[in-house]
Amino acid sequence: MDTAFTLLAGSSRRLVAELRDALDSCAERQRQLERSLRVSRRLLRAWEPAETLAPEPTPGPETNEEAPSAACIPSPQDLKELELLTQALEKAVRVRKGISKAGEGNKAPSLKSGSIATSPATRASYPPSTSHRAGSRASETEPPRGILQTRVPTKDLPERRLLSVGDQACMGQGAGATKPKSGLRNEQIVLSAASQAPEAFTLKDKGILLQLPEAFRKAASRNSRLWAQLSSTQTSDSVDAATTAKTQFLQKMQTTSGWPGPRLSATEVEAEVRHLQKACLLLRLRMGEELTADPKDWMQEYRCLLTLEELQAIVGQCLHRLRELCTVVEQQLGPWPEGRFPRASLPCGGGADPIWSPQLLLYSSTQELQTLAALRLRVAMLHQQIHLEKVLMAELLPLVSKQEPLGPPWLALCRAVHSLLCEGGQRFLTILREDKPAD
Amino acid sequence: MGRRRRRRRVDPADAARALPEAIAALSQTLPAGPSPETFRRAKFDRPEAAPALWRLLFRVLSPQLADGASASFSPEAQVRSVKLALRTQGYPRRALAQLPDDGSQGGRELLLALAWLLARGPLPERLLTQNRVQLGDEMPVCECEALASPGPPAPSVEADGCVDIRHLQWLMGKLRFRWRNLMASQQEQCALLGKIHSYTRGCHSDRSLGHLSVTETELLRDPEGGRQLLRRLERENARLQAALEWRRRELVFWRWMDTVLGACPPEASQPTFLPRIPTPGTGALEPLVRELQALQGELREAVEARRAAWEAGVGGRGPQWSAARTALREAVGQDLAALRQACERGGGCSLAQPHGPHRLVRTEAGVPGGPGLRAPEVIEALRSQEARLEVVLRQLQGQCRQELARLVGAPPGPVWILPPGR
Repeated sequence: MDTAFTLLAGSSRRLVAELRDALDSCAERQRQLERSLRVSRRLLRAWEPAETLAPEPTPGPETNEEAPSAACIPSPQDLKELELLTQALEKAVRVRKGISKAGEGNKAPSLKSGSIATSPATRASYPPSTSHRAGSRASETEPPRGILQTRVPTKDLPERRLLSVGDQACMGQGAGATKPKSGLRNEQIVLSAASQAPEAFTLKDKGILLQLPEAFRKAASRNSRLWAQLSSTQTSDSVDAATTAKTQFLQKMQTTSGWPGPRLSATEVEAEVRHLQKACLLLRLRMGEELTADPKDWMQEYRCLLTLEELQAIVGQCLHRLRELCTVVEQQLGPWPEGRFPRASLPCGGGADPIWSPQLLLYSSTQELQTLAALRLRVAMLHQQIHLEKVLMAELLPLVSKQEPLGPPWLALCRAVHSLLCEGGQRFLTILREDKPAD
Repeated sequence: MGRRRRRRRVDPADAARALPEAIAALSQTLPAGPSPETFRRAKFDRPEAAPALWRLLFRVLSPQLADGASASFSPEAQVRSVKLALRTQGYPRRALAQLPDDGSQGGRELLLALAWLLARGPLPERLLTQNRVQLGDEMPVCECEALASPGPPAPSVEADGCVDIRHLQWLMGKLRFRWRNLMASQQEQCALLGKIHSYTRGCHSDRSLGHLSVTETELLRDPEGGRQLLRRLERENARLQAALEWRRRELVFWRWMDTVLGACPPEASQPTFLPRIPTPGTGALEPLVRELQALQGELREAVEARRAAWEAGVGGRGPQWSAARTALREAVGQDLAALRQACERGGGCSLAQPHGPHRLVRTEAGVPGGPGLRAPEVIEALRSQEARLEVVLRQLQGQCRQELARLVGAPPGPVWILPPGR
């Protein structure tokens, strides 16, 4: 084994830890994405009727497939009847929308109980039949087509008539036709009729019919109102008085404690260090811009020079501040064993604690959204690459410089280091050596 | 006359109620808030108040834990964690560190600690923001989270000996692969979101939103989950309401805390030895010092080179020159003002950029739409950010190339053939 390839223990630990860290943060993002993907995919499939206390967050794919594909093949007449039925329902929904807002509120909570009550009845009303077994079992319990139900009022005579017609037609298909029970409510009829449909509820077809339950709507609008209030009430007399009282309290706390305490707390030091890291990157970005700019006249040239000088001054100040922090840490806070900073949550934007308020991001096409998301990922990846590059530089360059002999193992190491540092590990260079011709 | 007398008679009762109401609001907005009676007992340092306050401080200082997770920490562990967190934040009183670990004492000191935390920042609001119920499909528009990662990582669990550089190459490859996967998954998620948003257009009661989000659609698909969401939402609403109440009434609390502080015996002023707390040791600051020094070095080189070129070149001379120079200096100063501010202590983000998570809303193309960020603008900003970062990365890689070439030495050493194309 080429010992030249091997790194020192200290460097190894740091480098491997950094790379593992990067890999872990990627993995975490991937996990979160996978979670969201599962939910979204499930929403776009045919909706599985929710069982009572459905424990499984991810429904078995077999039950979903059953509904549309393994369903019975209804006769053309049934299809027509069902079409009529669906159209009538949709029409009723449109008509009712404006009228029965009041009634709707009661429907949503009762959805579940109503559905549970109907499921045994529905099951009972379908004797197992050969051709329709798959279809009926797949859609036997209350589907969230029940959502549609919430907008269908209980009393509507012409509708009921239509439904019972459709119902009988459907029921007539079953091997052993059972009469619809006399006490059936509309919901049951809708259920038994709709459950013969070869298609379950899909977002694509019937998504626009959805409506959020009343209770939720109220809570959500109250929620955004409260957040808006919370993030806006910043100045008023009582607030000022409270602020003064708080400052005085803090001062008293400091003076009554026997211990003078550190000038800066550990959290504050850590926050400042992060701030300086951000600053360092911003300065480097700006320097990059200036160095790659192409001055066209002497004015631009001079301006570039001035900018670089100014940047130099700022870097000097940052270094000075950092050295002060080092002193604080040494003198007052005591050393710390090798390890990670306890990660304080930095407020976004680096300003004072921002209080969340609802903000929107408008997009107009899927393409746009994808571009946006891809760019975000790319920027995050570049940040990570730059960080890793700095770490690798710090550890690998000294390694190459320490090893003297120009033998093959050393060259191989150089090649590896070059690839890692200069090509992001993606490409390798070729080294040509001139061998002395054998005599 | 009679009315005035009546008002005066009512006042003391009001005043007596004000404090418990303020404390009740506070305790309702905080997670695991104890009753006002507990607060009163704590003022008199009654032992029965202590456990509840330790629990409260633990929840407040470790908000990232889920609601149930705090139960997995033993009371001693909670006490130790609270002590550590407070010291890290610079809590000035020593008495807290000296409280016993079993959590049986210290009501008054804990009350002071809570008040100290409340005085330093908008604690209830911050906690609410961190554990907020997300109703929309959100996407952050800034890269603050990306910048949050640097910092010396924890040493790896396995005490690795020396490592082969090829292992590093392998890890890099693995990382690239993961990024590619991530990109692909992200694109799929966006496509799905786009579909869900367009299939549910017109369904939302809030016209400015127009369509449902995944969370909202999910609650329709799964009524049980929907009920849970509703309960969480209602709980959050109650806490938000309580936070607003607290803001209105907190003055009386601070007056009361003055009396609590007065009731404490003054601490002796000899500095006792306190256990070490984890802080960023100077060793951890070394990489940043080196980085800044490296940056300084690069800038110095660039400046020297350009100044020399300037002096040697034709440049500007003469009376018009000094006026132009002043104007240029001012322009540069203004140009960099934002950057300077960002780098200075406590400065905000240099780019006056929007921050934080935004709810995604799909609009029809061409429709002006309501308030909110537009995706094309964000895309532009991200593109320019990407370009700048790429420049930095190329620069660093270029430096490495130069350095390696120098180390390998001039011919008659081996010839390096660089990989093709960039």
